[in-house]
Amino acid sequence: MAKITIPLGPQHPALKEPENFMLVLDGEQICDATVNLGYNHRGVEKAAENRNYIQDIYLIERVCGICSHSHVSCYIGCVEEIAKAQVPDRAKAIRTLIAELERVHSHLLWLGVAAYEMGFETMFMYTWRDREQVLDCLEMITGNRVHYGINTIGGVRRDINAEQAKEVLSKIAFLEERTKYYVKLATEEPTILARTQNVGKLPNKVALERNAVGPTARASGVKMDIRKDEPYFIYDKLDFELITYHSEDVFGRVVVRVLELVESYKIIRQVLSALPEGPIAVKVPWKIPQGEAVFRYEAPRGEDIHYVKSNGTEIPERVKVRAPTLSNFQSIPYMLKGDYLADVPITIAAIDPCMSCTDRAVVYDAKKGKTQVFDWEELRKYSIEFYKKKGVNFSGK
Amino acid sequence: MSELIKEEELKKEIENKFAGSFYDLNISRKNRIWIGLNADKALEFMSFLKDRGYKHLSTITGFDEGENLGAIYHITDYHTLVNVKIRTPKNAPSLKTVRDIYPVCESFERELEDLFGIKIEGLPEGRNYPLPEGFPKGVHPLRKEVKLDELVKTLDSKEEK
Repeated sequence: MAKITIPLGPQHPALKEPENFMLVLDGEQICDATVNLGYNHRGVEKAAENRNYIQDIYLIERVCGICSHSHVSCYIGCVEEIAKAQVPDRAKAIRTLIAELERVHSHLLWLGVAAYEMGFETMFMYTWRDREQVLDCLEMITGNRVHYGINTIGGVRRDINAEQAKEVLSKIAFLEERTKYYVKLATEEPTILARTQNVGKLPNKVALERNAVGPTARASGVKMDIRKDEPYFIYDKLDFELITYHSEDVFGRVVVRVLELVESYKIIRQVLSALPEGPIAVKVPWKIPQGEAVFRYEAPRGEDIHYVKSNGTEIPERVKVRAPTLSNFQSIPYMLKGDYLADVPITIAAIDPCMSCTDRAVVYDAKKGKTQVFDWEELRKYSIEFYKKKGVNFSGK
Repeated sequence: MSELIKEEELKKEIENKFAGSFYDLNISRKNRIWIGLNADKALEFMSFLKDRGYKHLSTITGFDEGENLGAIYHITDYHTLVNVKIRTPKNAPSLKTVRDIYPVCESFERELEDLFGIKIEGLPEGRNYPLPEGFPKGVHPLRKEVKLDELVKTLDSKEEK
């Protein structure tokens, strides 16, 4: 059969991170894939060189709509290291709390998206409904649902009181119950197993070689988590497990994320039960002395790394941002090779690429010279129908 | 300094092995080593790091120091981060690709090409990344001489056509 090349992506104005995948197909199977990125370069690094350190907090926060706390904490970590600011313990604890709430929010969101890509819409509704609880917690503590704006250089901007802590704990108790159900669902539900097991294989060796990070790497048995490897905030004082799994496929990525939810609840409880007393911020002068620093941070999607260089003024000389998805994209072509076209949506979604990604696919038949245009929605439908024929069906119809 | 045993050991080894080929070597804190290296030793040094377990190239940061451009390679063994700084003159900026040692470097190196105009020797021709197709040639936005206002004007005038 003639091989067919399909460009998947890149543009849709509603999505935040368009990218393009060139898929070479042999029948239903993918024999080669390449990734093209850069369709939405916003020049954040240049913009950061033209604003002062405080303004940059709010700029960097907008690098991502889900890991907003991750990026800001990472950037602020660099600035505080250069300025030699002694961040109070209470501020560190509050940052940890927000970080874990953010992880819960992100993993629940991902679980919903993954379920949706598989055609399991009920689970998508469930997880997104439950995610509202954690968004409510974030809104109560920080005043915002997505861009929290809680960080400032030298500490945090808002304190947390006993009442709020109590409220967070009660919501966490609810979520913990729900998560037990998701763990059961993700590990036992035959339809999920059929869609995820042995799909998007990424062997341990390849994961290491291709710089996989975060849950993607951990599902391939790579023991890496910056919270453990190079603890920041108060992670060195907390008791939690580094979750790894060895199935090296999409199923493993589901398992790692649901089990990480459980660990996050554990962390949140520990932080709230031993919240240190004291101030929540120290004053840091606007002008940051000369120097440079790098900070690594475990965002929900993996290793986030920022570099800041200062020149003695209130405006940074250079700010570099490398988000985890860029690192994980290197593994996608490998994961797709040998898979079916119908597995593309879930395999790409499994690295949790800020769910921006792709939305338009052009199918080009080399023999007939015909071009057919798929959008993401059609490809998703195609994937669900494809598996229905094989007896994998969530709707029961 | 008992905390920094691992860092001190690596530093000593670098001092012995690469004497005379670096202009700066320091430990800024636990898990952070900075080295300014002569460009001709770059590949040799990175293979040396990789052999010692520093297998994860986190990213590459480009920089503009006025007379020199350059890149910082952030390489880690998951715990300790070694920041390898390599300079190249601005009038003929060029660096060798580290593809043979760290195959994942491609998108990071394309960033250097696009945003700083550093020629990467050995990197195959490819599409622009991260700048869009049709971005004015010879404009490398992260260079210090590119001012934001002028950049916006250039891009706007291009769009009007």
